[in-house]
Amino acid sequence: MKMIAMDGSNISFFKEGLRLDGRRADEFRPLKIEVGVLARADGSCYVEMGGNKVIAAVYGPREVHPRHLQEATRAIVRYRYNMASFSVEERKRPGPDRRSYELSKVSREALEPVIFTSYYPRSVIDVFVEVLQADAGTRTAGINAASVALADAGIPMKSMISACAAGKVADTIVLDPMKEEDNFGQADMPIAMTPTGQITLLQMDGHLTKDEFQRAMELAIKGCRDIYEIQRKSLIEKYNQLGSELAVVQEAEVL
Amino acid sequence: MTNVIAEIKKDYLYNLFLKGERADGRAFDQYREFSVERNLISKAEGSALVKLGSSQVLVGVKMQPGEPFPDTPNRGVIITNAELVPLASPVFEPGPPNETGIELARLVDRGVRESKAIDLEALCITPGKQVWIIFIDVHILDDCGNILDAASIGAIAALLTTKVPASKFGLGEDYPLPVKDIPIATTAIEFGDVIMFDPDSDEESIANTKLTVLSTADGSICGMQKSGTGVLRQEQIYRIVDIACEKAKEIREKFLEE
Amino acid sequence: MDRKVVIPGDLLSEEAKRSGEGTFVKDGKVYSLLYGLANCRDRINVIPLAGKYVPAPGDNVIGVVKDITFSNWIIDINSPYDGLLHISEFPKRIDADEMSKYLSLGSSTMIRVKDVDSTMKVELTLNDRKLGLLKTGRIIEINHTRVPRLIGKGGSMISMLKKELNCNIFVGQNGRIWINGGAEDMDLALKTILLIEKEAHTSGLTDRIVDFLKKEKGAGN
Repeated sequence: MKMIAMDGSNISFFKEGLRLDGRRADEFRPLKIEVGVLARADGSCYVEMGGNKVIAAVYGPREVHPRHLQEATRAIVRYRYNMASFSVEERKRPGPDRRSYELSKVSREALEPVIFTSYYPRSVIDVFVEVLQADAGTRTAGINAASVALADAGIPMKSMISACAAGKVADTIVLDPMKEEDNFGQADMPIAMTPTGQITLLQMDGHLTKDEFQRAMELAIKGCRDIYEIQRKSLIEKYNQLGSELAVVQEAEVL
Repeated sequence: MTNVIAEIKKDYLYNLFLKGERADGRAFDQYREFSVERNLISKAEGSALVKLGSSQVLVGVKMQPGEPFPDTPNRGVIITNAELVPLASPVFEPGPPNETGIELARLVDRGVRESKAIDLEALCITPGKQVWIIFIDVHILDDCGNILDAASIGAIAALLTTKVPASKFGLGEDYPLPVKDIPIATTAIEFGDVIMFDPDSDEESIANTKLTVLSTADGSICGMQKSGTGVLRQEQIYRIVDIACEKAKEIREKFLEE
Repeated sequence: MDRKVVIPGDLLSEEAKRSGEGTFVKDGKVYSLLYGLANCRDRINVIPLAGKYVPAPGDNVIGVVKDITFSNWIIDINSPYDGLLHISEFPKRIDADEMSKYLSLGSSTMIRVKDVDSTMKVELTLNDRKLGLLKTGRIIEINHTRVPRLIGKGGSMISMLKKELNCNIFVGQNGRIWINGGAEDMDLALKTILLIEKEAHTSGLTDRIVDFLKKEKGAGN
């Protein structure tokens, strides 16, 4: 992307109606979801969305340490968003910073409304998200992975949660901004929601008119709905895969 | 978080060991299947995902120009760091690296440094002013035992794929990082006079002692570390070192093939 | 019987009265609470693929002693909640300073859940002759959601296994299973139980396990 000036002022975000990576304004980047990728965790999920590579693990419900964090009538939920040092262009110092604390908090609050925490008093459900490669949109990729990992861990939930951002670049509302659009665009607005349209995460920065905001919202909601279908498919597929493994075992035994 | 191991499980494993067997059917000196996937992380200058049995370790290498240490003005700098993130095991906790994580990072570092796999003098840009700094970041993803050996394989595999990002910093064209050796860590545990290599997490949990041997391509030793509260006899150590260098050779050959 | 894979939030029925295990009712409709297999008969139950064991009074489980306090053993029962075995629930009168002589750190025991209160304080008992310390044999862990299949309808699967495998088997509701018998018999028992765990959600399981055992035993000769 050598054509981009440092302030993005002379960047052209569209070419013949398509974005820098060839997408239309209302398309999200290629999304790949894999369920159950870790052996130690109770539930896990790997998500690739464009250049983002994130992995989520769920441990629990399990004992709370330290004990004073326990709640007598419900499980607490902890969410830790963490970036690998090598996940970004310039090496990041290991460990949490202010940004990752904030993202951990809003991501936890995006998921907690659908978790039946009252089923497991005095316990903790730990959600760990590791960003292995970052390419704009890591928090939404993380929430999508975490939601699938929670289901994989057998956590009782009202529904899944799907997350996606909409943004504004060159006065156009776009779905799922990529790195360049995020860095040099005019607005970024990640949301998370249930399949029935209840919003559990909303953040926005930049500048939108009320009309633009509504269009961005509608676009992001549409994105979430499509992502939900891919999450669902990944879980169903994992189950069927178990089934086909069995078929192979049985055939081998017949021989 | 403490994990109590049931005595009955310990007894079972120990009785197997006495019969010369392991729970997963491996020989005592046999490694689990391993694979190395390279350049998974395009944001890093080099990277490798190592799967050793069910253990998974991702290593990323980043490079940037910086100041040399005052006592070595003509030499590049290697900084190795390991994150035992809580995603990888129920016993890992969030927070800054603890002594286990730091020991792991230092051993990976020792292998790379003492084998002289990286020619630090070749990484000098302007003597006393500017040299290349290599960050080796080890990210443990799934700890099913022996993450140290997996991390050491990952580190050297990532270095072997590393491109020096000279153009990014206006220092000429990018070029592959020269790597002159392939140091490999091989770890054995001792339990009730039985010695076995590449322990899985159950075996690790009952072991008294661990010995890690870092060896180079010519079959010599470039680092060692005994850890754990148990003890080792001289002849046990000799035996471990002999097998360790053999195993390291096999591992080296296997991944040069790939 | 209609079975299908469902995920949390899937609509299962418009009739609230069909709500069974692993489901919840909202606005008069039945939804899935879990990722798992929905069995739709009169009632709809969702059997999860994963999840942690939550103790209930009367459950027989296998525990491991993880700590000893003044008058309680703290027992890991493969659950988010530890169990407490009070010294008075030990089948014979012992002194507090002798507790570790009878049940030491790391020892395994068949044990019963006596009571669970609303804050999930779990009280255990050893007061039954069927219960007791496990000193020999092997313990394996399967997902506790598969335990009903391992036991079978009216205990059919487990009695068949005990007979065919020539092993003593105790199935803990918490997914821990104790096997005791000859070394080879135990190896086959372990293989069989893991197969049952893996295929728990398929139909015709008992017949397949019988076939599997026949073949394995045939191969051994």
